Amino acid sequence: MAILQSETSASTSPAASPVIEVRGVTKKFKRFTALDNITLTIPRSSVGLLGANGAGKTTLIRTLLGLVKPNTGSATVVGYDTQTQGTKVREHVGYMPEADALPLSTTAADFVGHMAEMSGLPTRQARQRAADVHYQVGLSEERYRLIKGFSTGMRQRVKLAQAIVHDPELVFLDEPTAGMDPQGREDMLELVERIYGNLGIAVVFSSHILEDIERVCDYVVILDEGKLVTAQPLGQMETVRGEIVVQIDGNAVAFANELRRQGIAVRSGDVEMGRDEMIVEDDEDRVYDLIRDLAVEQQASLRTLRSRSRTLEDIYLGDVGAAREASDVTR
Amino acid sequence: MSHDSTAETAAPGRYGEVFDRGYAHYTGERLGRRQAFRSLVGFSMKRAMGIRKSWSAKILPILLYTSAIIPLVVMIGISTIAPDAGFASYSTYMGIIFLIVGIFVAMSAPEMVCVDRRERTLPLYFSRAIARFDYVNAKVVAITLLTMTLSLVPAVLLWIGRQLVDNSPLQAMRDNFGDLWRVLLLGFVTAAVLGTLGLMVSSFTDRKGVAITIILIGFLILTGIANVSMELLDEYDWSRYLILLSFPDVFAAISDHLFDDLDNVAVDQADFSLAVYLGYSLALVIAGILILRWRYSPRDES
Repeated sequence: MAILQSETSASTSPAASPVIEVRGVTKKFKRFTALDNITLTIPRSSVGLLGANGAGKTTLIRTLLGLVKPNTGSATVVGYDTQTQGTKVREHVGYMPEADALPLSTTAADFVGHMAEMSGLPTRQARQRAADVHYQVGLSEERYRLIKGFSTGMRQRVKLAQAIVHDPELVFLDEPTAGMDPQGREDMLELVERIYGNLGIAVVFSSHILEDIERVCDYVVILDEGKLVTAQPLGQMETVRGEIVVQIDGNAVAFANELRRQGIAVRSGDVEMGRDEMIVEDDEDRVYDLIRDLAVEQQASLRTLRSRSRTLEDIYLGDVGAAREASDVTR
Repeated sequence: MSHDSTAETAAPGRYGEVFDRGYAHYTGERLGRRQAFRSLVGFSMKRAMGIRKSWSAKILPILLYTSAIIPLVVMIGISTIAPDAGFASYSTYMGIIFLIVGIFVAMSAPEMVCVDRRERTLPLYFSRAIARFDYVNAKVVAITLLTMTLSLVPAVLLWIGRQLVDNSPLQAMRDNFGDLWRVLLLGFVTAAVLGTLGLMVSSFTDRKGVAITIILIGFLILTGIANVSMELLDEYDWSRYLILLSFPDVFAAISDHLFDDLDNVAVDQADFSLAVYLGYSLALVIAGILILRWRYSPRDES
């Protein structure tokens, strides 16, 4: 038996052109502005689309699929214009909707094969691809069963299978972990990681769960009330305006007080609780020197001295809060 | 990269092997919108017929096909015994199976469109390589082709059967070849009109049962109103237009014009030409498609 081994290692592939380019897109539904002058360039990557319910995530995806016509602006997806080449866009892009969207009285193999044909694959190749993709999502044995007998997790896998069966360049996953139990969610996140990491298919992962985005994405786009809050690599976000975690063997309270006396902000809640970890604000070049000198002065051993990254939650709450305040001021 | 791992590594006494099948990117041809359209037509027809579904979904189509075949076999059988009895007329056969075709459409059309709405499969379809109106057109083609398996295929078999029972079948085929295109025209028009109207009605609800009930009851009520009104108001000339509400009579009239072998009071009373009935049928199909397109046109939901 011949074994196909052509998985792409995304980490080693050369940086390619942007997979999505959005230029000044505004979409209004009657009086409600779902997307407000969004301009955005998304690299070929695993991208998290983050925002609360109603932030405009699904409208942005539908616009990028060429299903919603923006009032102003334009967008290009995998090199095709979404308004004039919508069919071409959808031929090269996959979509996994959030809601249940499967014909229950059909077998998974039939439906996924049909979806491959719906993306233009010839019948024979479509069947073969359906079998391969079912294997990839872990439904190899169950694919000849009617979908109505599937669990929520299995149905999500079928939805994922139909989204990648035609080997798209990009796949939109709209809340793929919604309604899943912890094990199912874990399995789904692993699959999503594999789609970009091993299969080399760019992913736009829409979710309001920060943990999921942090886990599988290396680029994040945050939307709030139809506006773009930020769009940047997750790694880059982690290094901005960081803080230092300090742990010492010695009198932590005295250590923290001395730092404060020197004008350095220290969060000392844990110290007062009897734990010796302190978070020191890293906004001056002299902070590391001060900590070192103080440790020598107090004869305390430094157990931990590392920069504390801002979590996605910090970024989300901070940036979205700032964006809302700015919006309130202009009103 | 590909290699034959089992050939190289299988050793005596080993009964199984675990290997990673990997993932192969698709590099073959992509046929685009044309293939998507074809697939949607085929998939819709298979689902409506209950193919690759549970056995219960196949019962009704099988019953309806059997009901259409039995009169055909009887008519051809009687023609064999008594060739001059004129029993196996096309108009008689179409009159017999018209109700069966109507029930078939009432069952199939909701299966084709209501289920996609109810199971919310539409976003998946519209995210593929088709335009919205391709979806509508594919469904119209699917229901028309499927209905033709009842409105046209048995009638063609009747034509073949009638020629085969003749003393000289080949000569009979040559002599009666003109009947064949009439059979095809009648079967196609019946399928296109009933199928499109069935889809149009079904597009207003996502509940199959509601659509089936509306189609069947609407069909019976319109026919009843038309027949009773035409009888009661026969002194008024305009009452002849009421025949257009009665689909069995419209198709009986077309059949009568094509084969001249029917005695129908309503058709005689209306006394319209074939062009009027065909024009009316065409208008119904166009109206049905336009309404379907309107139902599936993109809407901005707030």
